Amino acid sequence: MGLGLQMFVNALLLGGLYALMGIGFSLQWGISGIINLSYGAMVLLGSYLSLIIFNMFHIDPFISMFVTGAILFLLGAFIYRFTLQPLLKGGIVFTLIVTFAIRLIIENIILLVWSADYRTIRVSYAGSNFQFLGAFVPLTKFLTFIIAGVIIYLTYQFMMNTKIGKGIQAVALDKEGAMAVGVDDQKMYLINFALGTALGGVTGTLWATIYSFSPHVMDVIIGRVFIIAILGGLGNIWGAAAGGLLLAFVETSGAIFIGSHWQEAIGLVIMVLVLLLRPHGLIGKKFFG
Amino acid sequence: MSDNGVILDVRSISKHFGALKAVDKVNFQVKKGEIVGLIGPNGAGKTTITNLVTGELRKTEGEVHFKGINVSNMQPFQIARIGLTRTYQVVKPLQGMTVEENILVGSLFGRSDRENDLNSARKTTHHIMELVGLEKKKDSKVSDVTLPDLKRMEFARVLAMDPEVIFLDEVMAGLNPSEVEESMELVKNIRAEKQLTIVYIEHIMKAVMGISDRIIVLHHGQKICEGSPTEVCDNPAVIEAYLGKKYAKEVISG
Amino acid sequence: MIAQNDRKLNINIILIVAALIIFILLPNYISGYYTRIFTAIFMYATIAQCINLMSGYMGYLPFGHVMFFGIGAYISAILMKTGLPVFVAIPAACFCAIVISIILGFPVLRLRGHYFAIATIGMNGAIMTVVQNATEITGGARGTTFPIITVPPAVVYKYFYLAMFGLMVITSLVMNMIVNSKFGFGIRSIKANEDAANSMGINTTFTKVSTWAIAAMFTSIAGGLYGYWMSFIAPDEVFDLMFITNSIIMMLIGGAGTILGPIFGAFIVETVSEVAWSGFMQYHLAALGIATIIIVFFIPRGLIGTITDKMRNRRIKLSKKTEVTNV
Ligand SMILES: Nc1ncnc2c1ncn2[C@@H]1O[C@H](COP(=O)(O)OP(=O)(O)OP(=O)(O)O)[C@@H](O)[C@H]1O
Ligand SMILES: [Mg+2]
Repeated sequence: MGLGLQMFVNALLLGGLYALMGIGFSLQWGISGIINLSYGAMVLLGSYLSLIIFNMFHIDPFISMFVTGAILFLLGAFIYRFTLQPLLKGGIVFTLIVTFAIRLIIENIILLVWSADYRTIRVSYAGSNFQFLGAFVPLTKFLTFIIAGVIIYLTYQFMMNTKIGKGIQAVALDKEGAMAVGVDDQKMYLINFALGTALGGVTGTLWATIYSFSPHVMDVIIGRVFIIAILGGLGNIWGAAAGGLLLAFVETSGAIFIGSHWQEAIGLVIMVLVLLLRPHGLIGKKFFG
Repeated sequence: MSDNGVILDVRSISKHFGALKAVDKVNFQVKKGEIVGLIGPNGAGKTTITNLVTGELRKTEGEVHFKGINVSNMQPFQIARIGLTRTYQVVKPLQGMTVEENILVGSLFGRSDRENDLNSARKTTHHIMELVGLEKKKDSKVSDVTLPDLKRMEFARVLAMDPEVIFLDEVMAGLNPSEVEESMELVKNIRAEKQLTIVYIEHIMKAVMGISDRIIVLHHGQKICEGSPTEVCDNPAVIEAYLGKKYAKEVISG
Repeated sequence: MIAQNDRKLNINIILIVAALIIFILLPNYISGYYTRIFTAIFMYATIAQCINLMSGYMGYLPFGHVMFFGIGAYISAILMKTGLPVFVAIPAACFCAIVISIILGFPVLRLRGHYFAIATIGMNGAIMTVVQNATEITGGARGTTFPIITVPPAVVYKYFYLAMFGLMVITSLVMNMIVNSKFGFGIRSIKANEDAANSMGINTTFTKVSTWAIAAMFTSIAGGLYGYWMSFIAPDEVFDLMFITNSIIMMLIGGAGTILGPIFGAFIVETVSEVAWSGFMQYHLAALGIATIIIVFFIPRGLIGTITDKMRNRRIKLSKKTEVTNV
């Protein structure tokens, strides 16, 4: 009983982070039409940037996440405008390869500056924790979960209630129609892509307060976000959030009941099945369900 | 079997998109060698019927028999191989290929009970290009040719498949009057030479009236009338539902 | 006109035969280091040729195609450990890869575009995990070895050089035959417009699955040879998507949808990355990334694609000129 509750809490806390991480990738793929193979590198860039800020200025990652988010937003906008937008007509082969090339470049920069070693950010309250109904809850994990929830909610509000958000929805649902009423489609794709990158960067910063990280983590992240995006349906915010939670539960329980060796395979098999049987995702239909 | 010359027998087919009955229990028969006009206002269900007959859409109900074979559950390629095919209202050229290669693919595949290895297909292609007048464009990529030429190419591609029955879905849309004239001549001549059966979908009344032996009128997914061109034009239901009195007179006299 | 074509054909054949002779004799005159680099080039050219058939010609990017490389390597290793000779083990592994590709192909090739690419990645990951966990049979995550070859290393490297070279040549010839056949027109029509292809009488499902099986066949042979060549394989190595990303880059650089493209692409990329490795190792990844972006931007049709485009345009111009003079 106690074990079951603890497992539930662990999965939930991990799921919050997965949800936030998956949304950025899902928006980029579902709305801007780009499978961003550099997404894992961008998330890690968020981790390393907050590491610099922490080491140099002793600023807490929960504060520096605003800075890393902003930097990643600009980086995303730059990458979209100058490397992806000109190649959109070339189709999937080109955007895949270019985002992969960007990943190589970022990976190289990380290796040069920080090497392949594992790094951690240890805030002063890193060891703190509290009990919840008998389950053990580390404070940093709890904070990341709450913040992830708030950011997801704000992202949703942005998409639903701002002019730009509505513009992004419009091009996602009916590009020609949106263009006909004067929406600048490329601007919307750019903002959406940059937003996705920023969400990735913030996830990286949050991730850094809990786990240690190294360039190897890139592939782990990419593997996860694919599954989350597919489970939730591409471009669907709540879908990706649910997908993130679901993956966290599947992994946590799979590790206990089947063995942690099979963890990866379970997620992948579920992803392939969803692709084959329900290509719009398990939850909802398309876009903002 | 195909008694009294009926080659295509459409038996009460329907297609529903959610609540919309795009095609609603439509019956008709086509005899070998006929040209049947299929008309109706925008959204009447003409293209949907074509998609149902050629197997590109699943029917909600009903059956289609071609040459006595029940083709209701066949895939488009299987139906094409026994000699029933169509052109697309919105052209679907094979992108990245030349005009000649597009037609060559038609000659290579299409009806399967004929010689269609590479050599004989090249011969067929050459012959068809001469027939429809596309030799000059043969090396151009499809992205470099004009819409009338694309329509011509798609028609040529269908001919190269050597079918017995063709659905022509608005092959003349977007053409100017002299091109329409030319295109009508082409269809008539080729029909005579190849002994084709044609189901002819068209908005340009003059073309339909001039070319069809018989006309079927659709409205809101239902067949509302069937008969010779003059019968159809005099039918009050058609005039009411579709043409509108004034317009009807105009197109008949004009 | 016909005489001219005949002469061109003759020149091509002479060039090909000369290249064959040069490359067969080459390992006698170069060091083991270069022999190994060339062997890797031939291997990559083979894989790139398979990716090219699927993506460059048919329009289906099989991102997880490395699964057949891994399957080829592992099944060969397992069979050879039971004592089977290599020329039985690799064909048997190849046969298994074909069967698996057909079984997976029917469901997965119904997906299009992005979805297909991603589903193959998922399948690759799942197969890799199975290999990692079936420790009894595969040796698990720590990998497995091939039987030791009792011939001096220098001779062994030459064998593998010739074997990979032979594989590349045969793969390229078969691909060339396929794309110029009736079946090849079916493949190209699927890339051009799959719905139209189907309605023109092409059995698209059959064509797609067979094409994938052909690509799986050659990739799995490359995997088997690679494993035997390395004599040690591990799951995260032979199922590494890097093999595919590299092959895609090679295909793009050489020219997607051409037969010579993947071969030239493999030569260029391997040479560049070898230079990058030895010259400025620390920036090796970034150099590769930047080079890729530049190439995609400036010669999107690839080396061979750009050249053939130029030649075609010149031919059209020439024919227009003769038309004018005829009038
Ligand atoms: N895939 C689809 N999903 C939903 N509705 C559809 C679909 N295809 C067609 N429709 C609807 O079915 C009806 C019939 O369409 P169809 O294209 O057959 O008309 P049509 O007679 O060919 O018209 P037009 O003259 O404009 O070509 C229309 O109301 C159309 O909006
Ligand atoms: Mg229509």
